[in-house]
Amino acid sequence: MAHDTHEYHPPGLQHQFEDMGQQQESASIGMWMFLVQEIMFFGGLFTVYLVFRSRYPMAFAAGSNHLDALWGGLNTLVLIVSSLTMALAVRSAQLSNRVLTVVLIVVTMVFGATFLGVKAIEYTDKYNHGLIPVDGLNKKIPVEGGHTEHASLTVPLETKVSAAEETKSQEQAEHLPNPKGNFQIQPDDLKLVVMARDGKFLTEAEKIGYFSNGEIDGAKFRDKVRIFFWIYFVMTGLHALHMIVGLGLMAWLAWKAWIGTYSSEYYSPVEMSGLYWHFVDIVWIFLFPLLYLLGRHFIAHGGGH
Amino acid sequence: MAEKHNHHDSDDHGEHPQEHHIVGLPIYGAVFGVLFFGTIITYYVALLDLDNALFPGANTLVALLIAFAKMACVVLFFMHVYWSSKLIWLTAIAGFFWLAIMFAFTMQDYLTRVPAGVY
Repeated sequence: MAHDTHEYHPPGLQHQFEDMGQQQESASIGMWMFLVQEIMFFGGLFTVYLVFRSRYPMAFAAGSNHLDALWGGLNTLVLIVSSLTMALAVRSAQLSNRVLTVVLIVVTMVFGATFLGVKAIEYTDKYNHGLIPVDGLNKKIPVEGGHTEHASLTVPLETKVSAAEETKSQEQAEHLPNPKGNFQIQPDDLKLVVMARDGKFLTEAEKIGYFSNGEIDGAKFRDKVRIFFWIYFVMTGLHALHMIVGLGLMAWLAWKAWIGTYSSEYYSPVEMSGLYWHFVDIVWIFLFPLLYLLGRHFIAHGGGH
Repeated sequence: MAEKHNHHDSDDHGEHPQEHHIVGLPIYGAVFGVLFFGTIITYYVALLDLDNALFPGANTLVALLIAFAKMACVVLFFMHVYWSSKLIWLTAIAGFFWLAIMFAFTMQDYLTRVPAGVY
């Protein structure tokens, strides 16, 4: 390791590699192979989304409209900023700027944690509004006073929805009783189906999937919205898990950078963690429009095609 | 394999194009700008009824085009693929190619069942 006149041995070079360039290339290819597997891993879930959305676009539009696109959009920006700070962290490691590398990794971690915090707020909101797709896992909202007219709203979609229920205001719908903590949608959601039927753009699967004997069946429609929320929770949950793993990686990176491990000669771990972080960002770049935005124009304009 | 190597001169690094490639700040700034405004645009475009104004599916198409543009920026510049070896290019493209096969083969089945769209 000393300054031998015959051979210069870079401090980060493992003995099995010819030189730093070959070592760097090997690390990059290994990381990319891992990322390709990650693409296929998330790809399976995107395929599920593709199949079910092509069948039940109205149920997915109803589900999208129960998500808060402003929180989702904010989180997209938070992740984009964290991707930028991560790219800059790699750059400062390449420039042997130890302190700046540590600072940028920590800033990236702060943005990553912010993302997870917003996700927690969103998940809590879903819990409060009966949108966790598993019956019994939602917030239990008792029926007020036990009046029969309220009791009829307890499981509003088990029966055919009347015109009166369809016109209930948003405020009332926000506080639907939910004594058993079941997954439930609001009577307003059925307006989408009525709109789509009147516009004659229901898919064949929807004509079978939402109706019983020619009438809109709230329970059947609800279970198609439930599919959307399963996809939402599995995909965003898996994405959040990747974020948590990324935060762990970065805590380790920040420590290693602080003790002076990385320099212009050896920065592979910073760069590889950066690739992982950017990949997680890319997954969210697709999740945001697919889950939060598509179908939103149905509500924004109150009309169909 | 731990033999002595006597060619560790600094000139030797030229054969590995991605090594020590340091991306300029203006490029990072430009990529960030594209990602930032792409997000803002995709949000507001989603509120417009393009399905009605243009053709059915236009909203989905625009949202995906913006997402693909953002992804391309991240992959090429933040992930340094633009300056990487052909092998890295091939690996990245192969990943998306296989993904496309999965989507295409799945949907050519589901979309061609009779009656259309039902099991």
